[in-house]
Amino acid sequence: MSLAIETPGRKLPRWVTRHETMLALILAIALLALGAFNDRFLTVDNLLNQGRLMTEIGLIALPMTFVIITGGIDLSVGAIVGLCAIMLGYSWKYFGFPLPLAILFALAVGGAAGLVNGLVITRIKVPPLIMTIATLALYRGLAEGVSQAHSVRNYPEWFYILGQGSVLGVPTQLVILIVLVVIAGVALDRTTFGRTLYAIGSNETAARFSALNVDRTKLVIYTLSGLASALAAVVLVSRVTTTRMDMGMGYELDVIAAVVLGGTSIFGGSGTIWGTVIGVAMIQLLKNGLALTGVKGDATIIVIGVALILSVLIASSMQRRRDQSA
Amino acid sequence: MSATAALGATSARGWTLRRFASQEALLAVAVIGLAVVVGFINPRFLAYRNLADVLLGNAYIGIAAVGMSMVIISGNIDISVGALIGVLATVSGSLAVAGAPIVVCWLAPLILGVAVMAAQGAVVAYLRIPAIVVTLGMMSILRGGLISVTGGKWITDLPDTFHLADLNVLGAPMPVVIMVVATAVAALWMRYSPRGRSIYATGGNAEAARLCGVNPQRTVVMVFALHGLFAGAATLVYATQLRVIQSTTPSGLELTIITATVVGGVSILGGVGTVIGATLAAILIAEITSALVFINISPYWTDAVRGALIIATVIADIMRRQRRAARGWKK
Amino acid sequence: MKATYLLTTAAACAFAAWATGANAAAKWDGGDELATSPLACGAGTAAAEAPMKYDGGQPTNPPNKAGKEISLVDVPKLIGIGYFNATSKGIADAAKELGNVKAKTDGPTEAKIDEQIKFIDNYITSGVDGILFAANDPVAIAPVLKKALSKGIHVIGYDANSTPDAREWFVNQSPFNGIAKAMMDAMAKEIGEDGAFGIVTSTFTTPNQARWIAEMQAYAAKCHPKMQWLETVEAQEDNNLSFNQATTLINKYGDKLKGLFGMTSVATPAGAEAVTKAGLCGKVAEVGLATPNAMKPYVHSGCVKSVVLWNPIDLGYAASYVLRAVVDGKLKPGDASVEAGKLGKLNVINGSEILLGPPFIYDKDNIDKFDF
Repeated sequence: MSLAIETPGRKLPRWVTRHETMLALILAIALLALGAFNDRFLTVDNLLNQGRLMTEIGLIALPMTFVIITGGIDLSVGAIVGLCAIMLGYSWKYFGFPLPLAILFALAVGGAAGLVNGLVITRIKVPPLIMTIATLALYRGLAEGVSQAHSVRNYPEWFYILGQGSVLGVPTQLVILIVLVVIAGVALDRTTFGRTLYAIGSNETAARFSALNVDRTKLVIYTLSGLASALAAVVLVSRVTTTRMDMGMGYELDVIAAVVLGGTSIFGGSGTIWGTVIGVAMIQLLKNGLALTGVKGDATIIVIGVALILSVLIASSMQRRRDQSA
Repeated sequence: MSATAALGATSARGWTLRRFASQEALLAVAVIGLAVVVGFINPRFLAYRNLADVLLGNAYIGIAAVGMSMVIISGNIDISVGALIGVLATVSGSLAVAGAPIVVCWLAPLILGVAVMAAQGAVVAYLRIPAIVVTLGMMSILRGGLISVTGGKWITDLPDTFHLADLNVLGAPMPVVIMVVATAVAALWMRYSPRGRSIYATGGNAEAARLCGVNPQRTVVMVFALHGLFAGAATLVYATQLRVIQSTTPSGLELTIITATVVGGVSILGGVGTVIGATLAAILIAEITSALVFINISPYWTDAVRGALIIATVIADIMRRQRRAARGWKK
Repeated sequence: MKATYLLTTAAACAFAAWATGANAAAKWDGGDELATSPLACGAGTAAAEAPMKYDGGQPTNPPNKAGKEISLVDVPKLIGIGYFNATSKGIADAAKELGNVKAKTDGPTEAKIDEQIKFIDNYITSGVDGILFAANDPVAIAPVLKKALSKGIHVIGYDANSTPDAREWFVNQSPFNGIAKAMMDAMAKEIGEDGAFGIVTSTFTTPNQARWIAEMQAYAAKCHPKMQWLETVEAQEDNNLSFNQATTLINKYGDKLKGLFGMTSVATPAGAEAVTKAGLCGKVAEVGLATPNAMKPYVHSGCVKSVVLWNPIDLGYAASYVLRAVVDGKLKPGDASVEAGKLGKLNVINGSEILLGPPFIYDKDNIDKFDF
């Protein structure tokens, strides 16, 4: 509690000390530094290519932001990617679905997987962390069981446009990602749905008593999480021209790292899509820039780990300073 | 509901007794029940040799689960423990190959484990960064650091005296002894010592705990430090069982440990659960893995079946807890 | 609520029961479903095969660096295991010998194809002259390798192949059927013609392992028909898991199990340890692929009679020399052999593969000469 004493000196406008702005600043500095070290980093070619490679994580990070804002978490996304990749190949090859139908089928499987998560979390009230750790094992196991460890390959050429082709010079999947980023950002910022998410994250009981349909919202976001994972799976299969049951392994931690880096609090109640985008881009570009500068893989992941902790440290101390002076 | 039961529900000791009886009992029943069922299908499963091997081969997960449950009960989480065990194993092995006295090789993982984890705990408690972030970052740092320093070389010429896990204490194999002792000491300490109970308080409601005189920050650092100690003990068993120490961190180990902890009834919301449950759950999961091979489940489906069983156990636990909570409201 | 729960548990049990029965007919042995070509039984190597047409890919307008210094990057399946440490050393040795090659090894810390693709992609951007690779997945790695070729970068594979059109040449340590023959013959010698064996592999999706197992099956059916395959288990690349799985197999089959195959350099020492701990040295044979250092204690104690491998240092060495030869124009599509430094002349087989040689057997007489 402070008395209303005027502190001397000019105050910075609020948006400057926002987490996302700080992060964007750090990202810009990092990019310039890495670009100075080698001349192939800041080329349009390279940056677009990085955009292509980060699409899978980026797609999953969008609904993950929603989930974490509500104070939940979804660790099964990587396993859903594997399962949907297998279902795509399996239904095309063994059920004889035409490929477009197989793609829809894979999306449906992903949505169903997410829905199952959501149902158990809302109806039986299993905490999200526990449920999604369990489904992580289950879905990955289903992928292995259904595929019998066989891959499906030799898709028709048109399918590869999604993962390897470009639209007006921009990689196809990146275009899809940008469109979805805009939709997600608008949904979070401007709709009742978005505000419900923040409400649930800040105080779920109060949200319930405010006549917000908490359960239905949660069902929606976990289903979206599954759908996004399925879409990422389709993009991945198109990019690498084959299916493997171990696809997506480890994605969950990459996605969570990106979302948290982007300023979404793991405790729920705050976060933006814009921040998530910066988080995803930052991790991808850091890895790429370091590799181009000649830093080897093992040193790169050390840097990423340090960067993660430092950014969250800087951001939360800025946040605290802002709260104190407010 | 009978009068005595209602009375039991309200009296403190009756409540503790029933809670103790139901949570861990379910797991113990599952362990025994599964053994019996599989024994019917393939009697070789019940051979002493096999049951002992299941215990011995997976004791390190149970030991690590003890520390992890403390962390989760206090309301935090740790994703770096797998990477840490890999690092500690390499440190211990390298010391042994370099000729350090064996006791030093055995103490090093314990001391180093405490140090690294306590540091993380301090960052979580005093710098106020969420545990998931700190430990996620630390996991990357440890994994990359291990490869950088070792260059990926395996440690293969360990001296014979290094193998702690091969020793016997009064006829019982060392890994089992360490697991039982660790679980028992931790369980007793957390139930009867004020410091131990403060972990539950911090996890349940940190602000209320603070108002009751518990220092949440110091508790968190202490919890992480203890977690490091148990991780070091787990490393001792893990590294000394085989003659080769890989210089990569075991992948998925942290997830296995966390799974064992939550299946053991430790609530991720903090404040509830016991270490005994975690150890029993670790044993159960190891048993399931072995059982699936014995009853000829197609190896392509073993992971799926195990995942389904984990979900079933978790749902049962949650539902049981809800039923108990609902009953508690009734007069 | 109780009804829902009981229903779900019943469903799970039914599912488990179905999983047990469903694949009882099919053999889930860990082999892939591609065609096999078992060698002739008995001693001696295969007869010379009819030369195939060159089927590798070619770089688009590679810069002419004949005789000049080149930079290469080696991206193995993963870094941090003894086998790829050895190949990396071989590559570095060759680079030093050649004098005009700058070699670097970099790769993911886990055997994930997606990570490996990103590594290769980064090196394409940073402009290396040559890429050596050991693929985590032959088809998934093809797009990024073709991209490298299209940018004029030379691409040579070793240890684990990609689709032929994605690389110029592939240095093959030993044909799959050759490894299969060596392994099955070694096992038959130890446990007899009607012994039963189990297999511990990494995962069912690792291409090399799956190929070897498939070839082993075909060869056994042809030359050791009375030998009995019991079961294959997965153990990733984890030491402890391999040990536990091997122990489970020993306990499950008891006296029936006479031998264990280890399909990775992690599984074989772990299997040997399991046999030792069970006190079954000499009664249960352990045969497998492994690096010498990890196997020395077991070979010396007599628990393991022979370890099948090739020399990974030579493999990396050959890969470097092949790349240099390609850049210098000394190895062109259609050639039948290439000079590889101290290894002498290596032959071209299967169109665009370069054969290192027959499998190498490490036993107690020679294992101490090696340190990797």
